[in-house]
Amino acid sequence: MDKTQILENLAHAAIEGDEDLARESAEQALSNQIDPLEAVEQGLSKGMAVVGARFESGEAFLPELLMAAGAFDAAMEILQPEIEAQKKEITKLGTVLIGTVKGDVHSIGKNVVATVLGTSGFDVVDIGVDNATLDIIQEAKKAKADVIALSSLMTTTMPAQREVIEVLEEMSLRDKFLVMVGGGPVNQEWADEIGADGYGKSAVQAAEVARRLLGREG
Amino acid sequence: MIVRFAELLTPDQVERVHEASLEILEQVGLLVHNEGARALFAQHGCRVAAEMQVVKFPRAVVEDFRTAFPPTFSFRGRDPEHDRVLPDDGPVVVTASSAPNIIDPVTGVERRARSDDIARIAHLINELPGYDVFSISTLADDAPAGQYSLARFYPALKNCLKPVRGNTPSVEELEKVLRLGALVAGGEEAYRERPFVTLHYCPVVSPLTMDVDSTEMTMFAVKEGWPCYGSVVPNAGVSAPLTLMGTLAQCNAEFLALGVLMQMLRPGAPLIYATLPTVADMRTGAYAAGAIETGILHMGCAQMAHYYNVPSGGYMGLTNAKVNDAQSGYETGMSTLAGVLAGADMLNMGGLLDALLAFDFAKAVIDNEIALMLKRVRRGLEFGEENLALDLIAEVGPGGTFIDQRHTLKRMRTTALLPEIADRDTRDQWEAKGALDSQARAMRRVREILTQDNPAVFSPEVDARIRAEFEDLVAGETIPPHGWA
Repeated sequence: MDKTQILENLAHAAIEGDEDLARESAEQALSNQIDPLEAVEQGLSKGMAVVGARFESGEAFLPELLMAAGAFDAAMEILQPEIEAQKKEITKLGTVLIGTVKGDVHSIGKNVVATVLGTSGFDVVDIGVDNATLDIIQEAKKAKADVIALSSLMTTTMPAQREVIEVLEEMSLRDKFLVMVGGGPVNQEWADEIGADGYGKSAVQAAEVARRLLGREG
Repeated sequence: MIVRFAELLTPDQVERVHEASLEILEQVGLLVHNEGARALFAQHGCRVAAEMQVVKFPRAVVEDFRTAFPPTFSFRGRDPEHDRVLPDDGPVVVTASSAPNIIDPVTGVERRARSDDIARIAHLINELPGYDVFSISTLADDAPAGQYSLARFYPALKNCLKPVRGNTPSVEELEKVLRLGALVAGGEEAYRERPFVTLHYCPVVSPLTMDVDSTEMTMFAVKEGWPCYGSVVPNAGVSAPLTLMGTLAQCNAEFLALGVLMQMLRPGAPLIYATLPTVADMRTGAYAAGAIETGILHMGCAQMAHYYNVPSGGYMGLTNAKVNDAQSGYETGMSTLAGVLAGADMLNMGGLLDALLAFDFAKAVIDNEIALMLKRVRRGLEFGEENLALDLIAEVGPGGTFIDQRHTLKRMRTTALLPEIADRDTRDQWEAKGALDSQARAMRRVREILTQDNPAVFSPEVDARIRAEFEDLVAGETIPPHGWA
């Protein structure tokens, strides 16, 4: 099988959310001496971009986006060790620390955003659910995060998003991190009101906003 | 009355759902983040894998504790006249609650809701006869520090004689609300006798998870004997399987787990099979509270609740509409009608747009009318020999008229619902009256109510007592919106 075909298969695997094809094509890429970075950038990522665009236009449904991410991750399990062995690095757009705020254990939406950020080229540190404000800040410092992404599903836990920003200010750390907010009841107006740097209404938009905030557009 | 509720499942299928739920609880279990709840479950025979925080329920434990589920749940108001008991007074209509935003009644623009909005909404709900319980519709953006909940409960209680329902973010806040109740009632004993605040939490987070804080508050309230219940909120395709049956089985398991927890805390603790099951819009993952499947799932929940002999109901009149338009009306109307026909006893349906995000005064007025229509459905045909009116039919005879009969006169205000908002004029009359649509007519009713005095307001003595204890408390006055006085 030639290189073009293998790269196309990798893209196709992502588009179809086919984990088996993703693994198989990743193995073929390595056995055919294709640069693993190229396999990611010219294969898998191209497929992801197609699915992302289809999702935004309403053609692809949410489960397809997540299946695509699953295929991406399956191929990466094979390609990543080789990338590291060759002492190469995938250019990361930045590190995003993500979690739900204090009092909120709704994890699913946050997980979707973390997945899409991960397949969009960010390093994602997921600190899970129900995180106290100070813990979030501590973890962000530890992870040297560029972006802190805060999720809340309940209207009653939204104030905890504001609290994180206020405490960052009190600790004179506000300019060290970009803060993004999201979750069912959150909107742009709320983000503006509490002084967040960004808001995405879907996982795909969250990735775009994060890219824009870090000056990594296009 | 409705002689036989609509049933989507055969008796065998109901049994199967029950069995499936027991299997879920026994084999999959529940992830319980709250340590106290885990300990309680373990103490009563559940298997707890400590490092995993997963609690598994032997079927005998569930079967044993569910026999303690009591068949009724009471909502009490400041005025006993407004007390409501499920299921006998059903369908009990409750406002939908905790929206962060409101559509400003004067400008029509969405903005953050404040405590003065809650005061006005409480006044409106107190006046509208379709509503039985005021669940505090919005948050209060102007809440002073440490008074997040007081800034909601105080204006609500001050302006409404009907039962008030709400939540709190912490036990500390909950204790302040209970103290407020005692101050309103004139003492702790008096409040204990008539607790007119019903607490509501969502301790179960689908799939099969119990959180820390809401669980803690539920346990506190149930232990102390305060009226409290929880809603189960699975979202098919996201936090539950994308089949209505899978979602029903999981929802039922989650209800049983919460019900069992409550009975372990206090045998006979009143509860409601309260739910908000939805189907996610898989195109985007959007939360589709207004979907017809919410109504269908509630029909299934009502049938399961009848099997357990517990009252049921929930959020089945929500809408995703952003304005009070046709979508708002048909989404609220269709799911609630499905629920009522299936015997749901409680409808959390009033006043919110945009899937629980914004309160709209006109929406609340139209939902009041929908509520009255639903209550009329529950009254049904009113079978009776007298109502067959055979003597009258013979007396009027073929070709006569009933319009001038005393029999008609006696019933002309009661047999049919006389809607305030629905228009039945001729086109000429309608045009002469300004050609108003239902939204405009509803806003006119809002304005009528909000520019009148509110007879429900506390006496100055009660108010002084409360304000002496809680400094910085929001005003909570029902003054007409700026521009309407």
